[in-house]
Amino acid sequence: MLSVSHLHKSFEQEQVLKDLSLELGTRQMLSILGRSGSGKTTFLRIIAGLEQPDQGDIFWHEQRMNEVPPHQRNIVYLYQEALLFPHLTVFENIAFGLRLRKVPKSEADDRVRQMIQDLELHGQQDKMPHQLSGGQRQRVSFGRALIVNPLLLLLDEPFGNLDVETRKRMQDFLKRIAETYKITAIFVTHDLKEAILMGDRIGYMRKGSLYLYEDVREFVEDARTEAANEIAFWEEVARK
Amino acid sequence: MKKTLGIILSGIIFFPFLLLLGLSVGKDWRFPDVLPGEWTLDHWSELFQLQGDLTQSLLLSLGISLLVATLSTVIGFITSKYIAYHPKKKTLLALAYFPYVLAPIIYAAVLYFYFIVLGLSGNFFGVVIGQMIIAYPFAVIIFVGYWNKRMQAMEQLVYTLGGTPWQAYQKVLFPVSKGILMVCFFQTFLISWFEYGLTMLIGVGKIQTLTLKVFHYVNEANIYHAALASCLLFLPPWILILINKRIVFRTES
Repeated sequence: MLSVSHLHKSFEQEQVLKDLSLELGTRQMLSILGRSGSGKTTFLRIIAGLEQPDQGDIFWHEQRMNEVPPHQRNIVYLYQEALLFPHLTVFENIAFGLRLRKVPKSEADDRVRQMIQDLELHGQQDKMPHQLSGGQRQRVSFGRALIVNPLLLLLDEPFGNLDVETRKRMQDFLKRIAETYKITAIFVTHDLKEAILMGDRIGYMRKGSLYLYEDVREFVEDARTEAANEIAFWEEVARK
Repeated sequence: MKKTLGIILSGIIFFPFLLLLGLSVGKDWRFPDVLPGEWTLDHWSELFQLQGDLTQSLLLSLGISLLVATLSTVIGFITSKYIAYHPKKKTLLALAYFPYVLAPIIYAAVLYFYFIVLGLSGNFFGVVIGQMIIAYPFAVIIFVGYWNKRMQAMEQLVYTLGGTPWQAYQKVLFPVSKGILMVCFFQTFLISWFEYGLTMLIGVGKIQTLTLKVFHYVNEANIYHAALASCLLFLPPWILILINKRIVFRTES
């Protein structure tokens, strides 16, 4: 279970996170909606250990994570871009984390083959990243993260670079794979529909503060999220 | 017409090299003779005598240049990353230009006192450190523009996947940057290989690199040895070009 309490972070004069607290159970996916500059990325980077908070604590179960370096946290942070390693094949990209952990080759190779099957990437294993489509690259990126069984997966607008159709397919795919691998994740997006679709729980981030909601109804009813406005807009379009 | 022009241009470009090669295998070449009085491989055969002056200089030059190029490239690659991401990047980068603004030889002359105090004057490591005064900032200048948000994100991704900072270099940053590393190695090798002023000053004439040897032979009007030393001087850069041509002159496909 992830527990974050009273997190504060400023860059020079600008306060980016203000007294942010959160509890997230294992195997839950929390989606956080927020505009650019609302502090979403900084929040994820602090959880991953890539930034240090000015104040506040991060716990995974009983273990305080603040001082644990990123490579020992087992929390994988995925960017908007797939960031596949261009010198490695699909197979070796997925195997990357296992090679770092010096998992015996035969065991690692078996796990990678299984992952390739789960990712529906049959026949792509020997390709180089530049030979893949955007959606395929993102799948490999998920596979590379999931294969190391992370405690927590941090997804920073992972579908932001994809076209509408691929994005839809990838949303379905991520839901499925999250179910299969029973992952705990925080999914950050500025797309309202995506936030509702992806999360078991939903939150809204505004000017460094995080608001968590019991359910989608409560989220929609909160005027700050502007969800009601968007729904009204589409209803209006449908009536015309 | 085009073909004739091409031949003339090639002739102008390659004539000095052919002349050097001719001089290195010539003997008794006196004005107004068009060709040497005698052709001989005597000068070249000196190279196979390990105790020979030229062989010693060739090995010494290779040792110095390979060390300078390797150290400058590796240290420049790592430190340029910190400079590129540092909030005071511009100030730090200005320091890298300092040896060039001041002129390397003057900069070395200013620092020469420290070389004497540290016992580095007139020895191999002194010359290596002296040449790094110009090669290392050059490497930093080459690499600093290479680091960007994408490279930073890739490095951080390695960390969150469980890699240590060393593993990030070993498994991703070095392999991904192979092209620019080779270019930098090649350039810093050339800087060191053809370096004269600094080597003369810090080596106080005791460290006789091939470049110094060429000047020495020219000064004593020993044209045959000067030509041979010159041939040796341009041989390694040509070999490096041939080895690296795919990387150095690579065009995006």
